[in-house]
Amino acid sequence: MINSGMRNLLDFLAKYSYWLLFVLLEAISFVLLFRFNSYQGSVWFSSANIVAGKIYDTSSKIESYFQLSKINEQLTQRNLYLEQRLAKLERDLGDSAADTAMNRSLLLQSLHPYRLIPAKVVGMSWNRRDNLLTINKGEADGVKKDMGVVCGTGVVGIVYLTSAHYAIVIPVLNSQSNISCIIQGRGYFGYLHWTGGNTSEAYVDDVPRHAHFKLYENVVTSGYSSVFPAGVMVGKILHVYNSTDQMSYRLKVELATDFGKLRDVCVIDNTALSEQADIMRAAEDSIRTRESGKAN
Amino acid sequence: MNTQLLRGVAIFVALLLVQILVFNHIHLFNCATPLLYIYVVLLFPRNIPRWMALLSGFIMGFFIDIFSNTPGVSMASTTFMGLIQPYMLVLFLQRDSADDLCPSIRSLGATRFICYTFLMVLIYCTLFFTLETFNFFNWLQWLECIAGSTTITVVLAITLENFRSK
Repeated sequence: MINSGMRNLLDFLAKYSYWLLFVLLEAISFVLLFRFNSYQGSVWFSSANIVAGKIYDTSSKIESYFQLSKINEQLTQRNLYLEQRLAKLERDLGDSAADTAMNRSLLLQSLHPYRLIPAKVVGMSWNRRDNLLTINKGEADGVKKDMGVVCGTGVVGIVYLTSAHYAIVIPVLNSQSNISCIIQGRGYFGYLHWTGGNTSEAYVDDVPRHAHFKLYENVVTSGYSSVFPAGVMVGKILHVYNSTDQMSYRLKVELATDFGKLRDVCVIDNTALSEQADIMRAAEDSIRTRESGKAN
Repeated sequence: MNTQLLRGVAIFVALLLVQILVFNHIHLFNCATPLLYIYVVLLFPRNIPRWMALLSGFIMGFFIDIFSNTPGVSMASTTFMGLIQPYMLVLFLQRDSADDLCPSIRSLGATRFICYTFLMVLIYCTLFFTLETFNFFNWLQWLECIAGSTTITVVLAITLENFRSK
């Protein structure tokens, strides 16, 4: 009796074992699906692992040959623009102060805290809601988590995961991207968000209702967080909406960065700046504890 | 069986490369992305062991996920396709078909094969985009994605099948 029962059970298991296998495999998939977003140790299970990185590297090298002339053209234009701007700034500076040697050292000093690490985009998606971007520089080149990434025309994103030679960046085109920016020359600030769909438009939320600005004015990074220096181009204001709670404005922005053609980027090494931010935070904390001590 | 397995692996590797190097960059009308690797699951023969169908689906999804930074999404969907493929195939079989039949235009006939492909791809795209957006934040775009990707994937799969059967 027991024997036949056992045999029935075993038969049953043998017949339907694939269901168990199915449940097991699906469980593994779902664990990966839900843990990835908060799971920092999963570098190898993404396009930052060495094999995937190499393949993407090769393919992007081949692709880049076909775009060289266009990129060259862009670079030349950009160079021209920067040269003119530099000339103008130098002229202005020369007007305000006669000591040019002093000026030059001041200028260098203001650029000093940032080190730029040039990198190439080797993989990128832009058809999802949470897009990611792979670059070919990693920890070995000094890239760390939470560093800012920019390109010649504007802001790109923030480093999310790093392996030895590759890194994954959360670009603006990701629902989790949240970059603090201001309207250039006006000082009102808000947060840059992207909600899927069109890759050339994003939204700036939380702009105060009393803000004065005009359409087609530039939006730039605020520099309040140490990730990006102040004044990196974000885009142009296209349209103004009321936020859903009617408490602030929501600006539709045309992004300055063309993510479809993104190839050369720079990672901003902000080590010196983040030390500065840490010290500020420590100072604020100590003041707060003192105040609360007084209150007691 | 072994040559069949090798051929399947070869087709998958080729489709994987095409997917990550070309198809992942295609996004027609902001909605249609071909997910052609599902074609490999369509080709599982009738007498494939169940565990093998599941495991092959799982492994294929794993590689696709690694390269397209969508951990778990295609893994879960291709595993599910491995589970339902035998049932779907039975729907479109003639009564006197062979036990080790490989689905193709020749063995099923054009109409049946196209219907079979359409149904499988539709289920796959629905699963894939549901898992990907998950919270249905924009159901119109979700529907567009499913419709667009299903259409373009079916067209590509039938084209590929035509080339292969010649």
